[in-house]
Amino acid sequence: MTSTFKIAEDLEESRPIVEAVKVTKVYTPDVVALQDVSFRINKGEVVFLTGMSGAGKTTLLKLIYCLEMPTKGLIEVNGRDLSKITSAGIQRLRQTIGVAYQDFRVLPKVTVFQNIAMAMEVLYKEPKEIKSRINELLDMLNLLEKRHTPAGKLSRGEQQRVAIARAAANKPQLLIADEPTGNLDKTISARVMELFKQLNESGTTVIIATHDETIFKDSKNMVLDLHHGQLSF
Amino acid sequence: MGQFGYIVKQAARNISHTWSTQLMTLLTVSLAVLIFSFFFLVYTNMLKAGARLDDDLRIIIYLENEIVPEMQKQMRKKIKDYGEVEKIVFISKQDAFERLSRQLGNDRDVLNDLGPSFLPPSIEVYPEKNLKTLTQIKEFSDFLATLPGASKVQYGHNWMERLGYFTKLLRIIVMLSGALLLLTTVFIVSYTIRLTVVARHEEIEILRLLGANNAYIQGPLFIEGFLQGFLGTSIGIFSLYLLYHWIKSRFSGPDILNIFEFSFFPPSITFLIICTGLILCSGGSLLSIRKYLRI
Repeated sequence: MTSTFKIAEDLEESRPIVEAVKVTKVYTPDVVALQDVSFRINKGEVVFLTGMSGAGKTTLLKLIYCLEMPTKGLIEVNGRDLSKITSAGIQRLRQTIGVAYQDFRVLPKVTVFQNIAMAMEVLYKEPKEIKSRINELLDMLNLLEKRHTPAGKLSRGEQQRVAIARAAANKPQLLIADEPTGNLDKTISARVMELFKQLNESGTTVIIATHDETIFKDSKNMVLDLHHGQLSF
Repeated sequence: MGQFGYIVKQAARNISHTWSTQLMTLLTVSLAVLIFSFFFLVYTNMLKAGARLDDDLRIIIYLENEIVPEMQKQMRKKIKDYGEVEKIVFISKQDAFERLSRQLGNDRDVLNDLGPSFLPPSIEVYPEKNLKTLTQIKEFSDFLATLPGASKVQYGHNWMERLGYFTKLLRIIVMLSGALLLLTTVFIVSYTIRLTVVARHEEIEILRLLGANNAYIQGPLFIEGFLQGFLGTSIGIFSLYLLYHWIKSRFSGPDILNIFEFSFFPPSITFLIICTGLILCSGGSLLSIRKYLRI
Protein backbone atom coordinates (compact mmCIF):
# COMPACT_ATOMS: atom_id res chain seq x y z
CA MET A 1 0.00 0.00 0.00
CA THR A 2 3.05 2.27 0.16
CA SER A 3 2.52 5.39 -1.90
CA THR A 4 5.36 7.05 -3.70
CA PHE A 5 5.70 10.51 -2.23
CA LYS A 6 8.27 13.12 -3.10
CA ILE A 7 11.37 12.77 -0.96
CA ALA A 8 13.38 15.57 0.63
CA GLU A 9 16.14 15.53 -1.99
CA ASP A 10 13.56 16.12 -4.74
CA LEU A 11 12.43 19.36 -3.17
CA GLU A 12 13.73 22.52 -4.75
CA GLU A 13 12.93 24.69 -1.76
CA SER A 14 13.93 23.21 1.52
CA ARG A 15 12.74 25.86 3.94
CA PRO A 16 11.41 24.29 7.14
CA ILE A 17 7.69 24.30 7.81
CA VAL A 18 8.05 22.63 11.22
CA GLU A 19 11.15 22.89 13.34
CA ALA A 20 11.47 21.56 16.87
CA VAL A 21 14.49 22.07 19.08
CA LYS A 22 14.79 20.12 22.33
CA VAL A 23 11.05 20.08 22.86
CA THR A 24 9.84 18.61 26.13
CA LYS A 25 6.27 18.19 27.22
CA VAL A 26 5.45 17.23 30.78
CA TYR A 27 1.88 16.75 31.95
CA THR A 28 1.18 17.44 35.59
CA PRO A 29 2.21 16.07 37.96
CA ASP A 30 5.23 14.45 36.29
CA VAL A 31 4.21 12.50 33.19
CA VAL A 32 6.85 13.09 30.55
CA ALA A 33 5.16 12.78 27.16
CA LEU A 34 8.06 14.14 25.08
CA GLN A 35 11.68 14.67 26.01
CA ASP A 36 14.27 16.73 24.13
CA VAL A 37 12.67 16.11 20.77
CA SER A 38 14.39 17.87 17.87
CA PHE A 39 13.56 17.57 14.17
CA ARG A 40 13.00 19.61 11.05
CA ILE A 41 10.37 19.08 8.39
CA ASN A 42 10.81 20.95 5.13
CA LYS A 43 8.05 22.39 3.01
CA GLY A 44 6.58 19.84 0.62
CA GLU A 45 7.89 16.85 2.53
CA VAL A 46 5.96 13.77 3.61
CA VAL A 47 6.90 12.56 7.07
CA PHE A 48 5.74 9.47 8.93
CA LEU A 49 5.55 9.71 12.69
CA THR A 50 5.59 6.26 14.20
CA GLY A 51 5.76 4.61 17.54
CA MET A 52 3.77 2.44 19.90
CA SER A 53 0.59 3.69 21.50
CA GLY A 54 1.49 6.20 24.19
CA ALA A 55 4.85 7.00 22.60
CA GLY A 56 3.91 10.69 22.29
CA LYS A 57 2.78 10.91 18.64
CA THR A 58 -0.51 12.68 19.35
CA THR A 59 1.17 15.01 21.86
CA LEU A 60 3.72 16.04 19.26
CA LEU A 61 0.96 16.71 16.72
CA LYS A 62 -0.99 18.74 19.29
CA LEU A 63 2.08 20.91 19.81
CA ILE A 64 2.32 21.53 16.06
CA TYR A 65 -1.27 22.74 15.70
CA CYS A 66 -1.10 24.73 18.94
CA LEU A 67 -3.56 22.72 20.96
CA GLU A 68 -0.88 22.49 23.61
CA MET A 69 2.30 24.35 24.43
CA PRO A 70 5.69 22.72 25.10
CA THR A 71 6.98 22.73 28.66
CA LYS A 72 10.50 23.41 27.37
CA GLY A 73 12.18 23.92 24.04
CA LEU A 74 11.40 25.76 20.83
CA ILE A 75 8.86 24.83 18.22
CA GLU A 76 8.35 26.85 15.05
CA VAL A 77 5.64 26.29 12.46
CA ASN A 78 5.83 28.24 9.22
CA GLY A 79 8.47 30.47 10.78
CA ARG A 80 6.32 31.33 13.81
CA ASP A 81 7.66 30.67 17.29
CA LEU A 82 4.68 29.02 18.97
CA SER A 83 5.73 30.13 22.45
CA LYS A 84 5.18 33.76 21.41
CA ILE A 85 2.11 33.32 19.24
CA THR A 86 -1.03 35.36 19.95
CA SER A 87 -4.58 33.96 19.81
CA ALA A 88 -5.11 35.71 16.47
CA GLY A 89 -1.83 34.17 15.31
CA ILE A 90 -3.07 30.71 16.33
CA GLN A 91 -6.24 31.27 14.30
CA ARG A 92 -4.23 32.30 11.23
CA LEU A 93 -1.84 29.38 11.68
CA ARG A 94 -4.65 26.83 12.00
CA GLN A 95 -6.19 28.16 8.80
CA THR A 96 -3.08 26.87 7.01
CA ILE A 97 -3.13 23.46 8.69
CA GLY A 98 -5.55 20.61 8.02
CA VAL A 99 -5.86 18.06 10.80
CA ALA A 100 -7.51 14.63 10.61
CA TYR A 101 -7.96 13.75 14.26
CA GLN A 102 -7.60 10.27 15.64
CA ASP A 103 -11.02 10.66 17.32
CA PHE A 104 -12.42 12.26 14.11
CA ARG A 105 -14.13 15.20 15.85
CA VAL A 106 -17.07 15.24 13.48
CA LEU A 107 -20.45 16.65 14.49
CA PRO A 108 -22.83 13.69 14.69
CA LYS A 109 -26.05 15.62 13.99
CA VAL A 110 -24.63 17.48 11.03
CA THR A 111 -24.48 16.03 7.52
CA VAL A 112 -21.27 14.77 5.97
CA PHE A 113 -21.34 17.70 3.54
CA GLN A 114 -21.76 20.29 6.28
CA ASN A 115 -19.07 18.71 8.44
CA ILE A 116 -16.57 19.18 5.64
CA ALA A 117 -17.96 22.55 4.55
CA MET A 118 -17.22 23.99 8.01
CA ALA A 119 -13.50 23.95 7.25
CA MET A 120 -13.99 25.98 4.07
CA GLU A 121 -16.63 28.30 5.49
CA VAL A 122 -14.32 29.56 8.22
CA LEU A 123 -12.11 30.80 5.40
CA TYR A 124 -15.16 32.43 3.78
CA LYS A 125 -14.85 30.42 0.56
CA GLU A 126 -17.58 30.77 -2.05
CA PRO A 127 -20.45 28.22 -1.78
CA LYS A 128 -19.88 27.11 -5.37
CA GLU A 129 -16.22 26.36 -4.68
CA ILE A 130 -17.15 24.57 -1.45
CA LYS A 131 -19.67 22.35 -3.20
CA SER A 132 -17.35 21.40 -6.02
CA ARG A 133 -14.37 20.66 -3.74
CA ILE A 134 -16.45 18.57 -1.32
CA ASN A 135 -18.00 16.53 -4.10
CA GLU A 136 -14.52 15.89 -5.51
CA LEU A 137 -13.24 14.73 -2.10
CA LEU A 138 -16.29 12.59 -1.33
CA ASP A 139 -16.05 10.94 -4.71
CA MET A 140 -12.41 10.16 -4.11
CA LEU A 141 -13.11 8.72 -0.68
CA ASN A 142 -16.16 6.78 -1.85
CA LEU A 143 -18.61 8.77 0.29
CA LEU A 144 -20.50 10.73 -2.34
CA GLU A 145 -23.76 8.91 -1.78
CA LYS A 146 -23.66 9.67 1.92
CA ARG A 147 -23.10 13.40 1.61
CA HIS A 148 -26.52 14.24 3.10
CA THR A 149 -26.32 11.64 5.88
CA PRO A 150 -25.74 12.87 9.43
CA ALA A 151 -22.20 11.93 10.41
CA GLY A 152 -23.45 10.19 13.55
CA LYS A 153 -25.13 7.55 11.39
CA LEU A 154 -21.89 6.58 9.65
CA SER A 155 -19.55 3.74 10.56
CA ARG A 156 -16.22 4.59 12.22
CA GLY A 157 -14.40 4.07 8.95
CA GLU A 158 -16.75 6.46 7.18
CA GLN A 159 -16.43 9.04 9.94
CA GLN A 160 -12.67 8.77 9.64
CA ARG A 161 -12.92 9.53 5.92
CA VAL A 162 -15.10 12.58 6.70
CA ALA A 163 -12.38 13.81 9.07
CA ILE A 164 -9.74 13.26 6.38
CA ALA A 165 -11.85 15.06 3.74
CA ARG A 166 -12.32 18.00 6.11
CA ALA A 167 -8.56 18.19 6.74
CA ALA A 168 -7.86 18.14 3.00
CA ALA A 169 -10.68 20.50 1.95
CA ASN A 170 -8.68 23.73 1.90
CA LYS A 171 -5.57 22.15 0.28
CA PRO A 172 -3.62 23.28 3.37
CA GLN A 173 0.08 24.09 3.55
CA LEU A 174 0.45 21.41 6.21
CA LEU A 175 -1.72 18.33 6.61
CA ILE A 176 -1.57 16.33 9.80
CA ALA A 177 -3.24 12.93 9.89
CA ASP A 178 -3.36 11.04 13.18
CA GLU A 179 -3.79 7.32 12.49
CA PRO A 180 -5.63 8.01 9.21
CA THR A 181 -6.06 4.38 8.21
CA GLY A 182 -6.84 2.93 11.62
CA ASN A 183 -10.42 2.01 10.76
CA LEU A 184 -10.11 1.55 7.00
CA ASP A 185 -9.80 -1.48 4.77
CA LYS A 186 -6.95 -1.85 2.26
CA THR A 187 -8.82 -0.38 -0.72
CA ILE A 188 -10.03 2.71 1.11
CA SER A 189 -6.63 3.13 2.80
CA ALA A 190 -5.08 3.19 -0.67
CA ARG A 191 -7.56 5.89 -1.74
CA VAL A 192 -6.67 7.95 1.33
CA MET A 193 -2.95 7.63 0.61
CA GLU A 194 -3.64 8.62 -2.99
CA LEU A 195 -5.41 11.75 -1.73
CA PHE A 196 -2.40 12.60 0.45
CA LYS A 197 -0.14 12.05 -2.55
CA GLN A 198 -2.18 14.43 -4.68
CA LEU A 199 -2.11 17.07 -1.98
CA ASN A 200 1.63 16.62 -1.56
CA GLU A 201 2.15 17.06 -5.29
CA SER A 202 0.30 20.35 -5.13
CA GLY A 203 2.67 21.56 -2.40
CA THR A 204 1.15 20.36 0.87
CA THR A 205 3.51 19.07 3.55
CA VAL A 206 2.06 15.88 5.01
CA ILE A 207 2.68 14.46 8.48
CA ILE A 208 1.15 11.03 9.03
CA ALA A 209 1.16 9.58 12.53
CA THR A 210 0.69 5.83 12.34
CA HIS A 211 1.73 2.56 13.81
CA ASP A 212 0.69 0.73 10.63
CA GLU A 213 4.06 -0.28 9.18
CA THR A 214 2.60 -1.24 5.81
CA ILE A 215 2.08 2.44 5.06
CA PHE A 216 5.72 3.44 5.32
CA LYS A 217 7.87 0.27 5.29
CA ASP A 218 9.15 0.73 1.72
CA SER A 219 8.93 4.49 1.76
CA LYS A 220 11.97 6.69 1.22
CA ASN A 221 10.38 9.53 3.13
CA MET A 222 11.47 10.66 6.56
CA VAL A 223 10.25 8.52 9.42
CA LEU A 224 10.27 9.95 12.94
CA ASP A 225 10.17 7.09 15.36
CA LEU A 226 9.06 7.93 18.89
CA HIS A 227 9.87 5.70 21.87
CA HIS A 228 8.70 6.77 25.29
CA GLY A 229 8.71 10.41 24.23
CA GLN A 230 12.14 10.34 22.62
CA LEU A 231 12.95 10.42 18.96
CA SER A 232 15.08 7.98 16.98
CA PHE A 233 15.54 8.53 13.23
CA MET B 1 -20.76 35.04 0.08
CA GLY B 2 -18.70 37.47 2.13
CA GLN B 3 -17.72 37.36 5.76
CA PHE B 4 -20.92 39.14 6.85
CA GLY B 5 -23.05 36.75 4.80
CA TYR B 6 -21.51 33.73 6.57
CA ILE B 7 -21.99 35.33 9.98
CA VAL B 8 -25.66 36.07 9.25
CA LYS B 9 -26.15 32.54 7.88
CA GLN B 10 -24.61 31.09 11.02
CA ALA B 11 -26.83 33.31 13.21
CA ALA B 12 -29.92 32.09 11.33
CA ARG B 13 -28.75 28.50 11.82
CA ASN B 14 -28.28 29.08 15.58
CA ILE B 15 -31.72 30.65 15.92
CA SER B 16 -33.39 27.80 14.04
CA HIS B 17 -31.63 25.21 16.25
CA THR B 18 -32.75 26.86 19.50
CA TRP B 19 -35.98 28.48 18.26
CA SER B 20 -38.12 27.59 21.30
CA THR B 21 -35.67 29.24 23.71
CA GLN B 22 -35.31 32.18 21.34
CA LEU B 23 -39.09 32.60 21.23
CA MET B 24 -39.38 32.55 25.01
CA THR B 25 -36.63 35.16 25.28
CA LEU B 26 -38.30 37.30 22.65
CA LEU B 27 -41.60 37.17 24.54
CA THR B 28 -39.90 37.96 27.86
CA VAL B 29 -38.09 40.96 26.38
CA SER B 30 -41.31 42.15 24.70
CA LEU B 31 -43.25 41.82 27.94
CA ALA B 32 -40.59 43.68 29.94
CA VAL B 33 -40.60 46.49 27.37
CA LEU B 34 -44.42 46.55 27.36
CA ILE B 35 -44.64 46.78 31.17
CA PHE B 36 -41.98 49.47 31.38
CA SER B 37 -43.28 51.55 28.47
CA PHE B 38 -46.89 51.27 29.70
CA PHE B 39 -46.03 52.84 33.06
CA PHE B 40 -43.70 55.29 31.39
CA LEU B 41 -46.49 56.35 29.04
CA VAL B 42 -48.93 56.87 31.93
CA TYR B 43 -46.24 58.74 33.85
CA THR B 44 -45.39 61.12 31.00
CA ASN B 45 -49.09 61.80 30.48
CA MET B 46 -49.57 62.48 34.19
CA LEU B 47 -46.65 64.92 34.11
CA LYS B 48 -48.23 66.68 31.15
CA ALA B 49 -51.57 66.82 32.95
CA GLY B 50 -49.87 68.14 36.07
CA ALA B 51 -48.13 70.84 34.04
CA ARG B 52 -51.46 71.84 32.51
CA LEU B 53 -53.09 72.06 35.94
CA ASP B 54 -50.20 74.20 37.14
CA ASP B 55 -50.87 76.58 34.27
CA ASP B 56 -54.52 76.87 35.30
CA LEU B 57 -53.76 77.19 39.00
CA ARG B 58 -55.73 79.83 40.85
CA ILE B 59 -56.39 80.22 44.55
CA ILE B 60 -59.82 81.51 45.51
CA ILE B 61 -60.31 83.34 48.80
CA TYR B 62 -63.96 83.58 49.76
CA LEU B 63 -64.70 86.65 51.82
CA GLU B 64 -67.29 87.29 54.50
CA ASN B 65 -68.16 90.76 53.16
CA GLU B 66 -67.55 92.94 50.12
CA ILE B 67 -64.39 94.94 50.40
CA VAL B 68 -64.07 98.58 49.55
CA PRO B 69 -61.48 99.79 46.97
CA GLU B 70 -59.05 101.09 49.67
CA MET B 71 -59.14 97.72 51.33
CA GLN B 72 -58.50 96.09 47.95
CA LYS B 73 -55.27 98.10 47.61
CA GLN B 74 -54.10 96.91 51.06
CA MET B 75 -55.04 93.31 50.30
CA ARG B 76 -53.21 93.43 46.96
CA LYS B 77 -50.09 94.80 48.70
CA LYS B 78 -50.22 92.14 51.43
CA ILE B 79 -50.56 89.32 48.93
CA LYS B 80 -47.80 90.66 46.70
CA ASP B 81 -45.52 91.14 49.69
CA TYR B 82 -45.84 87.43 50.50
CA GLY B 83 -45.14 86.02 47.07
CA GLU B 84 -45.00 86.74 43.39
CA VAL B 85 -48.40 86.61 41.78
CA GLU B 86 -49.37 86.96 38.16
CA LYS B 87 -52.61 88.71 38.81
CA ILE B 88 -55.22 89.32 41.51
CA VAL B 89 -58.90 89.64 40.58
CA PHE B 90 -61.51 90.90 43.01
CA ILE B 91 -64.94 89.35 42.44
CA SER B 92 -67.90 91.13 43.97
CA LYS B 93 -71.20 89.42 44.75
CA GLN B 94 -72.62 90.93 41.57
CA ASP B 95 -69.67 89.70 39.44
CA ALA B 96 -70.05 86.21 40.91
CA PHE B 97 -73.75 86.24 40.15
CA GLU B 98 -73.19 87.30 36.54
CA ARG B 99 -70.50 84.68 36.08
CA LEU B 100 -72.76 81.94 37.44
CA SER B 101 -75.57 83.14 35.25
CA ARG B 102 -73.29 82.92 32.20
CA GLN B 103 -72.13 79.44 33.18
CA LEU B 104 -75.71 78.21 33.54
CA GLY B 105 -76.50 79.33 30.01
CA ASN B 106 -80.08 78.41 29.10
CA ASP B 107 -80.74 77.26 32.64
CA ARG B 108 -80.16 80.71 34.06
CA ASP B 109 -83.88 80.95 34.83
CA VAL B 110 -83.25 79.12 38.07
CA LEU B 111 -81.60 82.30 39.33
CA ASN B 112 -84.61 84.49 38.55
CA ASP B 113 -85.95 84.52 42.09
CA LEU B 114 -82.51 84.86 43.65
CA GLY B 115 -80.45 87.96 43.96
CA PRO B 116 -76.64 88.16 43.98
CA SER B 117 -76.61 88.31 47.76
CA PHE B 118 -76.45 84.54 48.29
CA LEU B 119 -73.02 84.32 46.65
CA PRO B 120 -69.95 85.31 48.64
CA PRO B 121 -67.51 87.88 47.26
CA SER B 122 -64.04 86.49 46.57
CA ILE B 123 -60.48 87.21 45.48
CA GLU B 124 -58.87 85.10 42.73
CA VAL B 125 -55.10 84.88 43.05
CA TYR B 126 -53.08 83.56 40.07
CA PRO B 127 -49.63 82.66 41.39
CA GLU B 128 -46.48 82.90 39.28
CA LYS B 129 -45.34 79.68 37.51
CA ASN B 130 -42.41 79.35 39.94
CA LEU B 131 -44.81 78.08 42.57
CA LYS B 132 -44.15 74.46 41.76
CA THR B 133 -44.61 72.20 44.71
CA LEU B 134 -47.74 71.32 46.58
CA THR B 135 -46.08 72.44 49.82
CA GLN B 136 -45.43 75.91 48.42
CA ILE B 137 -49.01 76.18 47.20
CA LYS B 138 -50.29 74.99 50.57
CA GLU B 139 -48.13 77.50 52.46
CA PHE B 140 -49.35 80.29 50.20
CA SER B 141 -52.98 79.30 50.67
CA ASP B 142 -52.49 79.08 54.44
CA PHE B 143 -51.19 82.63 54.38
CA LEU B 144 -54.15 83.80 52.27
CA ALA B 145 -56.52 82.24 54.82
CA THR B 146 -55.13 84.64 57.44
CA LEU B 147 -56.13 87.72 55.45
CA PRO B 148 -58.76 89.88 57.22
CA GLY B 149 -62.27 88.91 56.17
CA ALA B 150 -61.23 85.61 54.54
CA SER B 151 -63.71 82.81 55.29
CA LYS B 152 -62.39 79.99 53.11
CA VAL B 153 -59.51 79.34 50.70
CA GLN B 154 -59.89 76.91 47.83
CA TYR B 155 -57.48 75.75 45.14
CA GLY B 156 -58.65 72.16 44.51
CA HIS B 157 -55.99 70.96 46.94
CA ASN B 158 -57.46 67.49 47.43
CA TRP B 159 -57.38 66.85 43.74
CA MET B 160 -53.91 68.30 43.31
CA GLU B 161 -52.55 66.38 46.28
CA ARG B 162 -53.91 63.14 44.89
CA LEU B 163 -52.41 63.89 41.52
CA GLY B 164 -49.10 64.67 43.17
CA TYR B 165 -49.06 61.42 45.15
CA PHE B 166 -50.13 59.42 42.11
CA THR B 167 -47.35 60.97 40.03
CA LYS B 168 -44.84 60.12 42.77
CA LEU B 169 -46.12 56.54 42.89
CA LEU B 170 -45.91 56.30 39.11
CA ARG B 171 -42.33 57.57 39.20
CA ILE B 172 -41.43 54.72 41.56
CA ILE B 173 -43.24 52.18 39.35
CA VAL B 174 -41.47 53.53 36.25
CA MET B 175 -38.12 53.20 38.00
CA LEU B 176 -38.92 49.67 39.18
CA SER B 177 -40.18 48.55 35.78
CA GLY B 178 -37.13 50.22 34.23
CA ALA B 179 -34.93 48.12 36.51
CA LEU B 180 -36.98 45.07 35.56
CA LEU B 181 -36.43 45.89 31.89
CA LEU B 182 -32.71 46.26 32.50
CA LEU B 183 -32.36 43.01 34.43
CA THR B 184 -34.65 41.03 32.14
CA THR B 185 -33.09 42.05 28.90
CA VAL B 186 -29.47 41.80 30.00
CA PHE B 187 -29.78 38.56 31.96
CA ILE B 188 -32.34 36.72 29.86
CA VAL B 189 -30.53 37.51 26.62
CA SER B 190 -27.20 36.67 28.22
CA TYR B 191 -28.68 33.38 29.47
CA THR B 192 -30.09 32.53 26.05
CA ILE B 193 -26.74 33.19 24.41
CA ARG B 194 -25.16 31.00 27.06
CA LEU B 195 -27.59 28.21 26.14
CA THR B 196 -26.61 28.64 22.49
CA VAL B 197 -22.94 28.47 23.46
CA VAL B 198 -23.58 25.29 25.48
CA ALA B 199 -25.65 23.76 22.67
CA ARG B 200 -22.94 24.59 20.14
CA HIS B 201 -20.05 23.80 22.46
CA GLU B 202 -18.74 20.92 20.35
CA GLU B 203 -19.14 22.84 17.12
CA ILE B 204 -17.40 25.93 18.52
CA GLU B 205 -14.49 23.78 19.65
CA ILE B 206 -14.15 22.29 16.17
CA LEU B 207 -14.43 25.73 14.59
CA ARG B 208 -11.56 26.92 16.77
CA LEU B 209 -9.46 23.96 15.67
CA LEU B 210 -10.28 24.83 12.08
CA GLY B 211 -8.94 28.34 12.64
CA ALA B 212 -12.22 30.24 12.71
CA ASN B 213 -11.58 33.84 13.72
CA ASN B 214 -13.39 35.62 16.56
CA ALA B 215 -15.81 37.36 14.20
CA TYR B 216 -16.90 34.02 12.76
CA ILE B 217 -17.59 32.50 16.19
CA GLN B 218 -18.78 35.55 18.13
CA GLY B 219 -20.52 37.46 15.33
CA PRO B 220 -23.58 35.18 15.08
CA LEU B 221 -24.08 35.29 18.85
CA PHE B 222 -23.90 39.07 18.83
CA ILE B 223 -26.40 39.20 15.96
CA GLU B 224 -28.68 36.92 18.00
CA GLY B 225 -28.67 39.39 20.93
CA PHE B 226 -29.08 42.34 18.57
CA LEU B 227 -32.12 40.73 16.91
CA GLN B 228 -33.61 39.81 20.29
CA GLY B 229 -33.27 43.47 21.29
CA PHE B 230 -34.66 44.89 18.08
CA LEU B 231 -37.57 42.48 17.69
CA GLY B 232 -38.38 42.26 21.41
CA THR B 233 -38.44 46.04 21.89
CA SER B 234 -40.33 46.65 18.64
CA ILE B 235 -42.97 44.04 19.53
CA GLY B 236 -43.27 45.51 23.05
CA ILE B 237 -43.72 49.07 21.75
CA PHE B 238 -46.09 47.96 18.99
CA SER B 239 -48.22 46.06 21.54
CA LEU B 240 -48.37 49.18 23.68
CA TYR B 241 -49.44 51.20 20.64
CA LEU B 242 -52.27 48.75 19.97
CA LEU B 243 -53.24 48.84 23.65
CA TYR B 244 -53.20 52.65 23.59
CA HIS B 245 -55.52 52.72 20.56
CA TRP B 246 -57.82 50.19 22.13
CA ILE B 247 -58.04 52.21 25.35
CA LYS B 248 -58.59 55.44 23.41
CA SER B 249 -61.37 54.01 21.29
CA ARG B 250 -62.94 52.23 24.23
CA PHE B 251 -62.96 55.25 26.55
CA SER B 252 -63.52 58.01 24.04
CA GLY B 253 -66.08 60.61 25.16
CA PRO B 254 -66.34 63.15 27.96
CA ASP B 255 -64.21 61.29 30.47
CA ILE B 256 -60.85 61.35 32.17
CA LEU B 257 -58.81 60.54 29.04
CA ASN B 258 -60.21 63.58 27.31
CA ILE B 259 -59.50 65.79 30.28
CA PHE B 260 -55.89 64.60 30.28
CA GLU B 261 -55.47 64.56 26.49
CA PHE B 262 -53.87 61.12 26.71
CA SER B 263 -51.27 60.80 23.94
CA PHE B 264 -48.69 58.22 22.73
CA PHE B 265 -44.92 58.67 22.82
CA PRO B 266 -43.49 61.04 20.22
CA PRO B 267 -41.31 59.25 17.57
CA SER B 268 -38.11 60.41 19.32
CA ILE B 269 -39.05 58.63 22.60
CA THR B 270 -40.16 55.50 20.70
CA PHE B 271 -36.82 55.47 18.90
CA LEU B 272 -34.99 56.00 22.20
CA ILE B 273 -36.80 53.04 23.85
CA ILE B 274 -36.01 50.77 20.87
CA CYS B 275 -32.36 51.88 20.92
CA THR B 276 -32.15 51.27 24.69
CA GLY B 277 -33.56 47.74 24.27
CA LEU B 278 -31.16 47.15 21.44
CA ILE B 279 -28.16 48.31 23.47
CA LEU B 280 -29.22 46.29 26.54
CA CYS B 281 -29.75 43.06 24.58
CA SER B 282 -26.54 43.48 22.60
CA GLY B 283 -24.81 44.18 25.93
CA GLY B 284 -26.29 40.99 27.37
CA SER B 285 -25.05 38.98 24.44
CA LEU B 286 -21.57 40.57 24.69
CA LEU B 287 -21.54 39.73 28.40
CA SER B 288 -22.10 36.05 27.59
CA ILE B 289 -19.62 36.05 24.71
CA ARG B 290 -16.92 37.54 26.94
CA LYS B 291 -17.71 35.16 29.79
CA TYR B 292 -18.11 31.89 27.92
CA LEU B 293 -16.17 32.37 24.70
CA ARG B 294 -12.73 33.53 25.75
CA ILE B 295 -10.51 32.86 22.78
